Amino acid sequence: MQVFEDKRIREKVYVEELPNKMQIMVVPKRETQNKYIIWATKFGSIDNHFIDPTTNEEVVVPDGIAHYLEHKMFEQKSGVDSLYTLMGLGLNANAYTTSDHTAYLFGGVDNFYPGLDELMDYVQNPYYTDENVEKERGIIGQEINMYDNEPFSKLYINCMKGMYKNNTINIDTAGTVESISHITKETLYSCYNTFYHPSNTVMVIVGDFEPQEVINEVQKRLLPREPLGEIKRIYPEEPWEINESLIETSMDVNMPMFMIGFKDEITGDKLKDQIAVEIAVNSLLGKCSETYQDMYNEGLIMTELEMEYEFSRNFAHLIIAGESKNPKRVEEIVLNTFENKEVTLEEFERSKKKIYGDYTSEYNSVDEIGRMFLQDAVKGYNSIEYLNKLEEIDLEYVNNIRTKLLNHNRHTLSIVKGK
Amino acid sequence: MKFTVLNSNKFKTNLCCVFLAVPLTEDRVTKTALIPSLLRRGTNNLTSQLEINKRLEEMYGASISYGIEKEADYEVLKFYLEVINDDLLPEKRALTKEGLDLLVDIIFNPYLEKDSNGESIFCKQYVNQEKDNLIKVIESRKDNKANYAANRMVEEMYQGEAYGIYKFGKIEDLKSINEKNLYEFYKELISIAKISVYVVGDVNKDSLEGDFRKSLESLGVNPESSFEKVNMRHTPRTNPKVVNEKMDVSQGNLIIGLDVNSNKTNEEIIMYNAILGTGANSKLFQNVREKASLAYSAGSKYFRRKNMIMIKTGIEISNYEKTLAIIEEQLENIKNGEITEQELESARQLITSTSKLIPESGENLVTYYYDKEMNDEEPDLEKFIDNIQKVKIEDIVDVAKDVSVDTIYFLRD
Repeated sequence: MQVFEDKRIREKVYVEELPNKMQIMVVPKRETQNKYIIWATKFGSIDNHFIDPTTNEEVVVPDGIAHYLEHKMFEQKSGVDSLYTLMGLGLNANAYTTSDHTAYLFGGVDNFYPGLDELMDYVQNPYYTDENVEKERGIIGQEINMYDNEPFSKLYINCMKGMYKNNTINIDTAGTVESISHITKETLYSCYNTFYHPSNTVMVIVGDFEPQEVINEVQKRLLPREPLGEIKRIYPEEPWEINESLIETSMDVNMPMFMIGFKDEITGDKLKDQIAVEIAVNSLLGKCSETYQDMYNEGLIMTELEMEYEFSRNFAHLIIAGESKNPKRVEEIVLNTFENKEVTLEEFERSKKKIYGDYTSEYNSVDEIGRMFLQDAVKGYNSIEYLNKLEEIDLEYVNNIRTKLLNHNRHTLSIVKGK
Repeated sequence: MKFTVLNSNKFKTNLCCVFLAVPLTEDRVTKTALIPSLLRRGTNNLTSQLEINKRLEEMYGASISYGIEKEADYEVLKFYLEVINDDLLPEKRALTKEGLDLLVDIIFNPYLEKDSNGESIFCKQYVNQEKDNLIKVIESRKDNKANYAANRMVEEMYQGEAYGIYKFGKIEDLKSINEKNLYEFYKELISIAKISVYVVGDVNKDSLEGDFRKSLESLGVNPESSFEKVNMRHTPRTNPKVVNEKMDVSQGNLIIGLDVNSNKTNEEIIMYNAILGTGANSKLFQNVREKASLAYSAGSKYFRRKNMIMIKTGIEISNYEKTLAIIEEQLENIKNGEITEQELESARQLITSTSKLIPESGENLVTYYYDKEMNDEEPDLEKFIDNIQKVKIEDIVDVAKDVSVDTIYFLRD
C-alpha cells in the first residue's frame, strides 16, 4: 500500500492495487461521521469500439450502451431493486454515467457495511434477460427525450460536435432512441464482461476508516474473476482542425445561451495543464478581470462565466459558457482578450491563491473528496498531487498555454437561442 | 444581536453568516429584495464590486453568497462568507477575522454618495442596475415550472396573509424606488432587523464576537434592534380552495397544501410526513409513481413553522383526476391506520440518517440552529433522534386525523 500526503492541508490518501489489478483509494477522515464510497469502471460513452481481450475480436457497440448498462445494474434476480434496498438502509445511493466512466456510490452515517454488501453484490451480479432489457428501452427513451429538451445538454453536445468531427465525445451519453434500439442482453453482457472486470475499476472510500481494515472488507466481498488482458479501446482518427465554427439552434429559452470550445492536444501532463488553464482563464475572464467587468457593465453578461478544462483518454478542451443577449459579441471579446492580454504577475498570484482555497475547500465533505479522487483516478491522476502541480506552474507556463489554446483557430461557438 | 459560534473540526473552512430578519409585509417586500444585491455592489472602503471581488480572491478565494428567504412570517436577508482555516494557509493570517470584517463592511457600511443637499444616498447607477436585475428575476420566475407552481400554491393558500407574499415583490413597486428613499428604507431596516451571527469552525468565540461588536459600534449600528415577533396562524379552509392556472406547459404540476392543526409533537408530525411523501419508500412515491406510473416525481415536505405540508407532483395533464384520487386515498389510508411496519421503519431510518447528517455540513448546522433561535427552542438533535425512535403507528394515525386538504393548485396547459 502506498501513502501520499499533503502536509499543507493535512490530508492523506492510501492507495492499494489488489492482486486482481483493481485500484482502491482510502482517504481517512477521523473527525466526520459521514462515510462515502464510489466504485467506477473506466467505461463511458466514448468507449464504443474495442478489442475484446477474451476473443481478441473487434467489437462495435451501440451508442449509449454504458448508460443503458448502468440502468440495468440495479435489478436483481430476486426482483429487488438495489437502489431501494440501499435507501431502506438510510443511505443516499446513486449511479451515473459520464463520457469516461460509470460510477455506483452511496453515503451515510450508519450502515456502511450492510451497504457495502449490497453495493458489491449488485455491481458484481448482472442480471439481464430479453424481457428486462426490453422494459428499460422505453424508460431510457423518455430520459433521452428529456435531455433533448434540456437547453444545456443541447448546448454542450453541439459544442462537442463543433469541435470534433469523429471523436466519440460528440455522442450523447445516453445515446439516441435509434442507437439504443440495437442494445440486447448479449451486447450488455459483452460490455459487462470486458469493462466491469476489477482491473478496469477504481474504488474510493472516504470516512473514519482504518485503511487496511476497510480494504480487507472490500477484498472479502470481491468475487473471483479470471485475469483479463489489456482492453484495447479503438478511437476514431480525429483531424487537427475543428469540425464547424458555429452551431446555432432554437429552443425554449429566455436569454440565449452560449458555449465556446477550444480544442487542445491530449498529450502531456493534463492535470498540470488543467490548473494552468484555470489560472489563465480566471485571470483574464474571471470576476476580477477587466474583460468581465466591461461585459457586465455593457449588459452583455449578468453572471460569471462558467469555464472548465475537460480531458480524458481521447479528448482535451476548454469550454467557456454563459448566457448573453449577444453571444457572438462575447466570443469576439473572449478571443480578443486571449490574443491581446497577457496574464500579469499580480493576477497570477491572486488566481493561485483562489485555486489553493478552492482546492482546500474540496476536503469539506466526504462526498466531494470521493468524487474528486475518483474522477482524477479514472484519468490516471492522484488528486493529492494537486497543490504540488500548482506550485510547479509559473507565469510563463500560464501564458504559453494561453497562446497555445488560442492559436490555430481551433475554437467553436455553440448557441441555443429562443424560438 | 446574537453571536453564536458552533465549534467543529470537521471542516477545512470556517463559515461566517450574518442574518437580518424582519417581519414580511407587502409594503416592504420589494425594497427589501433590492437590498442584498445592492449591498454587494460596494462599500465605503471597497467602492465597487470589482474591488470586493479582488479582495475575496486575495483571501484565498473566499466565497460569499447573499439571498432572501421567506421563513414563516419573516423575511431573512442572509449573507454567507466562507474562508479557509487560518492554520491551513501558506502564510500567517487571521482570515476568519478578515472575513467577518468584510461582511460587516458589506452589510453595514454600503457605498454612499451625497445628493445636492449634502444628504447621504445610495449610488444611483447601482440602484438602477439592481432594479433592472430584479425585474429580470421576477419575470423569470415562470422559467422553473415546478418551483413556480409550488410558490403559487403558497400564495393561494395564504392569500391576504404575510406568508402568501412573493419574496421578490412586485415590478410595479419598483417605479417609485430611488437612491434616496431606498437608503432611508435601508436605515430603517437595519434598525428593526433581528441580527444573528453564526461562525462554524475551529475558532475562538470571545475575540471574534468582541471584534464584531466593536466594528458595528464604530459604524454607529446599534446591535440591539427594535425587532418585533410575529406569528400568524392560518385558518384552515373547511372546503378546499381549488385553483387551475394555464400556461404553455407540456407537464402538469399538481401542488396540494395540507393544514396540520394538531397537538401532536413535532417528531410525530415529521414521521407522518415521511410516511406520506418523503423518499422512495413513501406512500406517495410508491403509489403515484411506482405503482400507477402517473408522475415523474411525487413527494411531500413539512413546513413546521406554518403547520403546513406541501404535496408536489409532476404529472401528465390528463392524469389530474386520477392522481388526485390516489393522493386522497393515501391520506385516507393513513387515517385508517394502514401503515406497514416496513413503512414505519423506513421513515424512521430516513429521518434518523438525515438528522445525523446535519452536523456534517456547516450550512445545514447553521440552518438548524437559526430555526431554533428564531423560535426560542433549545437545539438538541440527540433528543430529537431519540424521540423519532419512539413514534408509534397510533401517533401517526392521530396526526392524520388533524390534517386537512386546504388548497389544490394545478398548473396546466
